[in-house]
Amino acid sequence: MKDIKRRSFLKGTAAVTTLPAVGITALAEGAPSATVIVVHGKDIAKMVEAGIAKLGGWGAFIKPGMKVAIKPNVAWNSTPEQGGNTHPEIVRACVLAAQAQGAAKIDLPENTCHDEKSTFATSGVEAALKGTKARLYRPDKKDYQEVEMPNGKIVKRAEVPKDILGCDCLINIPVAKHHSGATLTLSMKNWLGSVSNKDRRSWHRDGLHQCIADINTLIKPKLVVIDATRIMLTKGPQGPGELAHPDEIILSTDTVAADAYAATLFKKEPFDVPHIKIAHEMGIGCGDLKKIKVERIEV
Amino acid sequence: MFNRRNLIRLIIAVAFALLSLGLVPEGWKHMRVALPALSPLLSLGGALAALSVSVVTLLGVPLLLLPLFKGRFFCWRLCPMGFLAESVGRLNFWNKSSLRKIPFVGKPLALLVIGSAAAGYPVLIWTDPLSVFNGFFAAWRMPLSMVSGLTAVGFVMILLTSLLAPNIWCHRLCPLGGLQEMLANLAKRIRAPATATTTERPIENVMVARRTLLGMAVGGFSGIAYRALSGRMSARMSATEALETGGRGKAQGGGCGRAMGRGVGRGRGHCGSDVATAPYIRPPGAAAEAFNALCARCGNCMSACPYGLLVPDLGSSGIDGLFTPVMLFRSRNSEQERFCFQECTACTKVCPTGAISSLTRNEKQQTAIGVAHVSKRKCLAWEKGEYCMVCQEFCPYHAIEEVERNGVMCPVVDTDKCRGCGACESQCPALPIAIVISGRQTQARLAHPSPYLNNAS
Repeated sequence: MKDIKRRSFLKGTAAVTTLPAVGITALAEGAPSATVIVVHGKDIAKMVEAGIAKLGGWGAFIKPGMKVAIKPNVAWNSTPEQGGNTHPEIVRACVLAAQAQGAAKIDLPENTCHDEKSTFATSGVEAALKGTKARLYRPDKKDYQEVEMPNGKIVKRAEVPKDILGCDCLINIPVAKHHSGATLTLSMKNWLGSVSNKDRRSWHRDGLHQCIADINTLIKPKLVVIDATRIMLTKGPQGPGELAHPDEIILSTDTVAADAYAATLFKKEPFDVPHIKIAHEMGIGCGDLKKIKVERIEV
Repeated sequence: MFNRRNLIRLIIAVAFALLSLGLVPEGWKHMRVALPALSPLLSLGGALAALSVSVVTLLGVPLLLLPLFKGRFFCWRLCPMGFLAESVGRLNFWNKSSLRKIPFVGKPLALLVIGSAAAGYPVLIWTDPLSVFNGFFAAWRMPLSMVSGLTAVGFVMILLTSLLAPNIWCHRLCPLGGLQEMLANLAKRIRAPATATTTERPIENVMVARRTLLGMAVGGFSGIAYRALSGRMSARMSATEALETGGRGKAQGGGCGRAMGRGVGRGRGHCGSDVATAPYIRPPGAAAEAFNALCARCGNCMSACPYGLLVPDLGSSGIDGLFTPVMLFRSRNSEQERFCFQECTACTKVCPTGAISSLTRNEKQQTAIGVAHVSKRKCLAWEKGEYCMVCQEFCPYHAIEEVERNGVMCPVVDTDKCRGCGACESQCPALPIAIVISGRQTQARLAHPSPYLNNAS
């Protein structure tokens, strides 16, 4: 039984990865094509600015008076250099921009894996948000709301922070890194750091990659900013592991496309990461590199 | 009753209660060691038994010197337990003291503690009043439960006794009171001018000296007997543990096959090394020997744990281990999603007797309190071929190795790196939990600690 499952899985992967190469793109048809902005440089604040300018500026995403929710990946008690969490400067850049656009409220609910006090401190994110009106917190029971996910294949309900459900503009700012369970953790996997522990656990039981795709049918960020300034190649997601320094920030309005490009930084075909493939097939976004327009900017 | 003296006693009692309750500023929390450590029976007794001196030990010195000059000043003016016992005694209107019929049990009790401490196994050290007082207030911590409240039992017993027989605790039973009285008498004898000596005085002195020595000797023998007994008990317990768990040896991963059940106390057959497991998990820094004897049940370590992992034991560590601190992770406490965090040393800083010695962050990170065990039959990756590895994800020590099986990564524990912190157990998504920590019979320095740990800040 298990063997059959594995074989069919391999076949599927082979089909999707090799067919486009020979020019038959029928399988991927119907999926929208997408644009990914890749900014290379050292000055993180400027990189974010340059990337956003390409996407039409912050004004295209945040209007005055909007409730903004930002989802960084700040799960682990580790330092910015170790690459386990989103770089604090990226978080700060997004929060400052939202503030400058006149956002009414900026919330960063984060269901940390380590104890939140030390995690927020060691990650440098707490310090980076000092003086801003952003609220970084670990949601507890009262902050969650259970919602239906009609488009989910396995998961039909999820407990999601109210601030994420009720916001006007949702921004996903994950860090790209290795993940022992999900192969890679990029933007789509980042929502597992939002949902309740109960969901997080049961999804590992029920087919992790499908569940990752499922939650992305519900939570749809307006903007994805992936931190690939340094990427953890091994020992993820917690680290510390072996690091590489692409010095890149990846921006897109298509979460699957952003992940597909980010996967290449790890020398992986996007569809070798099962949840990218599933999400592409479900039409959540475009994971086919052939159909993704990559615009590079040097800062 | 409401005079200045009692007002001061009340203030002291409230102050110590607040300290034990942890209702003090963050930086002050480790000061909760101060109250129980004031008792020389705990701080000096513990140091004598473990043959190790720390700063905490010195806290016991004042109450060794004070009675030489001021008699039982501490008992009547400062002791919070004494104040409460006395106050409750005042509620009794039907039974006025019948103290005369009872000998001062506290004196031999103190000698017993000191004598047995000298033998390395203090007996009845938990009868100390400061420890009992502390234990009551330390029990009020979140989350409240029936079990976590058990360190309050001694306090309630003393107050009940005091209600039924007023003053009996301070005047007849209290070992710290007994010690204070003996020291006060000693000072009186020494100070008594030679001229005033009657012919009987030297004889009396000899008698007192004889009694004291006898008390200590009895203490010494009980300590030795206790040592012998507890050695036997732990041997028997580990034999049972090996029997209970040895059968699972095969389930242990990564090709180590059946390195199981090698003789007494070698349970669970872990890969590459023999880890002697125990049915309980002690806090980091717990004494390898005589822990049950050394522990005063003051509740400090339990209330210091920011994650509420430590609870009074109900017998897994033996009858003499009743109410000693043990860690309960998620498989034994389903509400628990926390684990023994690598950056935290709170419980090691508050032990008055040295049953738990103070550890630095680095020392703690290398002290194995338990060892994880994957049950392949329950594991999502091993059994169902799911992508999971949540245990590895959360392991701060990189102690989970991955083995590929049909394209899915599966977990195997590296016992040389596993500290037994419970991070894996706290998050394992399998039902029932597939990775569970067993205690280590003796805490060990990790053979190959993760090289990354010291980098983490």
